[in-house]
Order: sequence, then C-alpha cells, then structure tokens
Amino acid sequence: MTDPQSPLPYRDTKPVGAADFYFAINATFRFLLERFGLDALRRYWTDLGTQYYAPLSIAWKERDLPGIAAYWRAFFAAEPGGQVEVHERDQEVVVAVAVCPALEHLRTDQREIVPCFCQHCYYVSEAIAAPAGFTVRVSGGGGSCRQTFMRREQAAAPQDLNEIREVTC
Amino acid sequence: MLGVYDFCGHYDWTFEWLRRTGGEALVRTYWEQAIAQDSQRHAAALIVPQGIAGMRAYWDHTLDHEAAGYHCVATDTVYRIDMFACPSQGFLVSNGLHHYHDYCDHCMGWVGPLMRTAGFVIDHEHNHAGRCWWEIRPAADTTPPSQPGGLAGEHDVRLLSDWLQPGGLDIYQRANGPDDKQPAAAGSVPPANGETP
Repeated sequence: MTDPQSPLPYRDTKPVGAADFYFAINATFRFLLERFGLDALRRYWTDLGTQYYAPLSIAWKERDLPGIAAYWRAFFAAEPGGQVEVHERDQEVVVAVAVCPALEHLRTDQREIVPCFCQHCYYVSEAIAAPAGFTVRVSGGGGSCRQTFMRREQAAAPQDLNEIREVTC
Repeated sequence: MLGVYDFCGHYDWTFEWLRRTGGEALVRTYWEQAIAQDSQRHAAALIVPQGIAGMRAYWDHTLDHEAAGYHCVATDTVYRIDMFACPSQGFLVSNGLHHYHDYCDHCMGWVGPLMRTAGFVIDHEHNHAGRCWWEIRPAADTTPPSQPGGLAGEHDVRLLSDWLQPGGLDIYQRANGPDDKQPAAAGSVPPANGETP
C-alpha cells in the first residue's frame, strides 16, 4: 500500500479516472478472448487479482469486512459515473451496482462489449478475496449487479457463472 | 471490477503478463490490434480523415481528461506535443510500480501504427521520467525535427535542466512503431546555455 491510511492500494493525483480507459479494458478482454480463448482470459483476470492487487489482499486480511467496504466506497468514488451503494453488514459486504460506470461509458460511445465482460468482476475479486480469507458471489450483470463479499467458510455454494448475465450492447 | 482510476497500473502489469505469455511480439501485436485498432478507434476516426486537425481534437480531449502536464503546437505541417508531466508514467512512479521493462514504449506502440495508417511519421524522444516530445509530420515531408525551442519555444522539454536522465533517452526518427527505436546514443542534448541554437 502506498498510503497506509487509504483504502485504495494505489493512488492518483486526480480524483477521478479517465473514462476512455474503459475502452482499453474492453479491448484487452476482446484481444485475449479472440486470440487465446475464455480459459486464458479467466487466467489473466485471476493473475491480475492475485499479482497486481496483492497489496489489496493484504489490506483486506488486515482490515476485515470494514476494509472491503471502505475499498469499494473509495473505488467507486474514483470511477467516473455509475450509481453504486455499498452496504456493510455483520457477516458480509454487499456492493449494489445500479449503474455500472464501465458499461455505461462503453454503451454511450456505442462500443461493442465482450459478452463475458461482467465475469471479470467475479474472477478478479475472487482472486483478491481468497488470500484474505473471503469470497465473492456475483449476480446480475449487463449494467447492474450485486456483489456479495463474505468469509469463505460462510459461502453456501460456489459461484454459479449462470448467475452472471452476458452483456448485450 | 477493474477500474480506470488505477488503469495505468494494470495496463503496465498487462504488458508484462503478455510478454511472459507470448514474448515481445505479443506485446506489440496487442498495442497495434487491441489498442490502436480497437480501444483507440475514436482517435483514428478523428486523425485519419482530418490529419493534424484531428490530432488537435483528440489530444486536447484526452490529455485534459488524463490531467496531463503538456503543451501542444499545431501548424499546417506539423503537430508537436511537449509532455512535461506524463500522468501515466507519473502514476507508476508515484506508486512504485514497474512491471514492464519500458512502459513508455506503449505510446509508440499504438500511436505509431495509427499514424502510418493516417499517412504521418513521428519524431519522438522520451526520458523515462515522465517527459517526452513528439513531432508528427506527413510522411512525404522530410523536414527534420526542430531544434530545442525552435517550435515549442520555452515549453520545449529539451530545455529543462533534468531532461537528460541517467537512464538515457529513447529516440525515434520518422518512426511508425516501437521497433523503430534508434540505438542508444547521444539524444538531443540541449545547449549548455539554454539558448536556442
């Protein structure tokens, strides 16, 4: 963590990121999907969560569920657009995405969105959460979803990928 | 969710993931296909039909949104950018991130092929410390790059006292891709007295 007081693992000088970078995220997914297939794309997402976001796993382990809630509040405050509420409860943190900032921007610019775009939220977050002793379940997708973070031992069943909708443009 | 607030961090990490997966060739293919042709199609839509006017429209929007420290000069025959505070490299440095061996090459990796398509060539240098300059001219124009201060005046990054860094400059002349980099040598050293030669 560059700033031990911040819930974000990395910090920028500008308060909100540049929305056009969502174009590159979507294009990166398409490049890997078309060239290497879905398994490789999922491996990229998992590696990203495990390696690039390793400092976040450490923070979540140290700060427990309040740290997870604080991260997502700070994260969405630094994303351009979107409508998101983060609910912190005794045994879980629920990230309720009413309007996904990424899909909103991609649609506004009439970009072709990879159908499995929303799966990255599960794979990246799970790779961050697992080393910290947590897991995530994602339901919905395509512009609005619900992401629930809980302790691994409290998860009733594995993530059902059918619960994550494919994106239609 | 992958965000854009720390995009430059996972972008840099992705270059190294690609290099480990498929070598430098895959990184270059990614810059050209995923970034130049897909992600940045809005840049191509402006620059290919409009040339220098399209460059102004694209970079005025993009560099403002990225909160860059920069200065641009446009004439009928050349478009020049002096970047004195690159927000992208600045993010990596301030967060202690350094996954890929030369993050700065990604700009030539996508801008170069786009300019080839649009009929332009690029003179460019970067110092790996958040500063660089670009001069983009029609491919048929053989005018050499300007001397320090000659086009951008006092905004020319080559006039800054810390332009030359221990790591050296990466130099491109009439380039259209990251592999057009010149062998490491003397760069465009600013005159000792700071005056325009």
